[in-house]
Amino acid sequence: MVDAARQPLIEVKAYTEVEKVEGFVGNFKVTLREKAKYVRADRCNGCAACANACPVEVPNYFEMNLAPRKAAYVPMSQSVPLIYNIDMDACIHCYKCVEACGALEAIDFSMEDKVTEEDIGAIVVATGFGHFDPTPMTEYGYGRFPNVITAMEMERLNNSAGATHGLVIRPSDNNRPQKLAIINCVGSRDKRYNPSCSNFCCMYAIKNALLLKQMNPDMDISIYYIDIRTPSKGYEEFYDRAREAGIKFIQGRPAEITEDPDSHQLFIKSEDITLGRVIEHEYDLVMLNQAAVPQPDQDHMSSVLNVAQSPGGWFMEYHPKLRPIDSPTDGIFFAGACQGPKDIPASVAQGSAAASRASRILHSDTWQIEPTVAVVWSDRCVSGKGQACGICERACPYGAIDYTKGISAEVITAKCHGCGACVGECPHDAITQLHYTDAQVLAQIRTLLAVEPEKKILAFRCQWCSYGGADLAGTSHFEYSANERGLRVMCSARMDADLIYEAYRLGAGAILYSGCHPQDCHYITGQIVGAKRAARLEKMFARLGMSPGRFRTEWISAAEGDKYARVINEMQAALDAIPEDQLKAEIDRLKPEMEKKLTKLNEIPGVEEAMIQVDFIVKDLLNKAVPV
Amino acid sequence: MSLKPKIALFQCQWCLYSPTDQEWVDSQLPENIHLIKTPCTGRINPLYVLNAVQGGADGVMISGCLPEQCHFKTGNMAARRQLEEFNDFLDYIGYEKSRMRFVWLDLQDRGIIQKRLAQFEKDLEALGQASNLVTRVKVAEGGQNA
Amino acid sequence: MSHQTLSDSLAEQVKAIPGGEMLMMCFSCGTCTSKCMIQEKLEPNYNPRRLIREAAFNFEETAFTDQTTWLCSACDLCYPACPQKIHISGVITAVKQLAVAQGRQNPYQVAKVDESTCVACGLCVQVCPYQAITLTEKKVPFRGMISVASVDPGKCMACGMCNAACRSTSIRLSQDFNDNRVLENLWSWLESEAA
Repeated sequence: MVDAARQPLIEVKAYTEVEKVEGFVGNFKVTLREKAKYVRADRCNGCAACANACPVEVPNYFEMNLAPRKAAYVPMSQSVPLIYNIDMDACIHCYKCVEACGALEAIDFSMEDKVTEEDIGAIVVATGFGHFDPTPMTEYGYGRFPNVITAMEMERLNNSAGATHGLVIRPSDNNRPQKLAIINCVGSRDKRYNPSCSNFCCMYAIKNALLLKQMNPDMDISIYYIDIRTPSKGYEEFYDRAREAGIKFIQGRPAEITEDPDSHQLFIKSEDITLGRVIEHEYDLVMLNQAAVPQPDQDHMSSVLNVAQSPGGWFMEYHPKLRPIDSPTDGIFFAGACQGPKDIPASVAQGSAAASRASRILHSDTWQIEPTVAVVWSDRCVSGKGQACGICERACPYGAIDYTKGISAEVITAKCHGCGACVGECPHDAITQLHYTDAQVLAQIRTLLAVEPEKKILAFRCQWCSYGGADLAGTSHFEYSANERGLRVMCSARMDADLIYEAYRLGAGAILYSGCHPQDCHYITGQIVGAKRAARLEKMFARLGMSPGRFRTEWISAAEGDKYARVINEMQAALDAIPEDQLKAEIDRLKPEMEKKLTKLNEIPGVEEAMIQVDFIVKDLLNKAVPV
Repeated sequence: MSLKPKIALFQCQWCLYSPTDQEWVDSQLPENIHLIKTPCTGRINPLYVLNAVQGGADGVMISGCLPEQCHFKTGNMAARRQLEEFNDFLDYIGYEKSRMRFVWLDLQDRGIIQKRLAQFEKDLEALGQASNLVTRVKVAEGGQNA
Repeated sequence: MSHQTLSDSLAEQVKAIPGGEMLMMCFSCGTCTSKCMIQEKLEPNYNPRRLIREAAFNFEETAFTDQTTWLCSACDLCYPACPQKIHISGVITAVKQLAVAQGRQNPYQVAKVDESTCVACGLCVQVCPYQAITLTEKKVPFRGMISVASVDPGKCMACGMCNAACRSTSIRLSQDFNDNRVLENLWSWLESEAA
């Protein structure tokens, strides 16, 4: 931290909040609020004279409230930059600090918050994690029994700069504990609070146990656990060392801590799973190894940065396996536990990676994006005509659409990733996607269904999953019906209802609506938009009396070639089960229904011309007897 | 009062989570306190209380589990409904209401039963000996004298 | 060695009964066992965690003869403590139902009705926490067709609340806890104190 502060190209803005982030990759406009410290940074030399003079004492948050601090304070002794700060909520305005500061004249009570706007190229978010407060878990008695402490309190107790100068004591009587229990998974792996595993607490418990054992070899330490997880290099060896040192590991999650009200001794009753018996042990001190949870203001940060959150509240990465450092918004990167609980080596690795990802942006004059971006026909957008709409803005997983009532919607091209969710959702066909325009996709449909459409299975595949699945089915030589006709779009969200109506109008036998599994979507929430639409369509077709099996929704990953082949074969079987004349009659009966829904199709720019062209080309090809 | 008050302690057999407390109640109760363990406080027949009162007990203590923690779902609530009503009746005919006390023990209450008993003993000492209803008549089921 | 099909296995049968759905979610942390009062007070070998494993891995005979199956009183102390939110007493009740369906008997005591004195007032029906008592029409010797209380042995947990509520002493539990014995015990103390 000190190194970073000395580096001329790094500016540390301490005690500063990010209020607003606007713009896009390479061109962010960030509004910063530098809070008033009431001490001038250019004059303060960190001598602590003001803190020594200050008569006010308040609980020290950094010391987990185990020690007091003054109203004039630095959060911790290693603070960078080392500039004092006056807590106005606690200050009594006695001005003793001003006196103590003397000739330096660093204290300035007239200071105010400073709001600045800065041009930023790339943002790395490293806001870390918060701690689960075990008070609601009454069974462990935290807050009720003085000798039940949290991991962070233990951390301050055995820190040589902490409240007790590194002496671990029992809060009830200040004696040194001889028997200590550490309980793991307090609030984590617990569906009542946080269902996920906090990743590093097992190692953290072992580290703390070994540290305490080194300080006092006579201390009897037990660790209660459900499972010990030591997955990285050297971790299992560390676990071994702890057992060698005589630390007891008890498999079994304690149900209850009871306390002797006179001596404040604690009793833990738990089942020793390996013995299959319930045992009760007495302890002087119990440390609850609480869960890592998102920062309390993570939701707020998420809306400031326009970055989605994963279940559990952590910031969501672009892709859990392939792009774990990038946020879905280009130019914003994550480092460390704000993206999910991780230990120090993993956080350092992610931090370095984020820095190098960010420097790619800072060192380039131009930034390439996928060419399949969305574009609005402003003359067709109803918002420009004064109607309230905003459907495209809600569909966009990236917040790339600027919608204000009265002005036609606008796509911020640098933010658009080209999923086509807005295109599929727009009820007025006012948005199109380059390289996947309605005209282009409709032309493909028309070609594919030119001959004997009632025998064809038209498969809409998403670029990332089901298209890959179909590919794999081919390279793996899984046999599937030759009547399948595949059609690629970027995401299931692009599979516009109009395209499907048009295919049925042309007499398609069956249609497969396929995409990624919900958690695998390449475009964060694109699949959800697509799945909702598919469910709507399914319901409608059932109401119109379409034979079952003619419209099918399937989520197929790129690894599921066998599933793709099976689904197509099942659809072929379902199609074969319908007698031919019945199918033809059904197609004829539904045709006017579809036409009713497609009255405005030809108004879409380019569609009419494209259709004329396609009919001409198809006719030409058929004359040349090229198989279509 | 020179003699310690006589207390009949009705204890639900589930209500003490800590084994040390249970052991104390089972084997180290002072002589003036008599323990009757029941499967649930709901199982305490008002008849038992009546017998204790007529036999000269200065106080009756009923210890059970907290509401929601009853081993038999609603037994403790049923007991309170039944015995509070009976207590009101006893009060009316001359056995002071404060001579019967309910104690609901939380799982985490270790060493609380001793304190509650000591407090009850002190309160009873202040009240003095119970004499109004001491008829020394045994009452059996169905209202017959045994 | 014969293999059962999956759908016939004990685990699937338990999961099909309301309350038993979450059976396979158990990760064996032991919280339920250390919270359990029966384990603490009555039977050190009682272990809900073990029963869940027996049911999950289809040890049918062991599960049906396990005391855990029959002794649980569904007090639900363990349910709010379970980190996996498994309704443990629901699982145990499901196993018990399957055992009863196979014709197995509850090896522990249940409440018994003295039909010659029962007046079918319904007090016991009201007070029973397990809805184990119903009033049924029945032919009783010397009394003809009358309505009397009857106990479902699959539901009765032997708490004795019916015994305490009954005004005609017609419903009672077993021998080891009864009114006479309690009164004898009480009076022997009262008399020794008085002397």
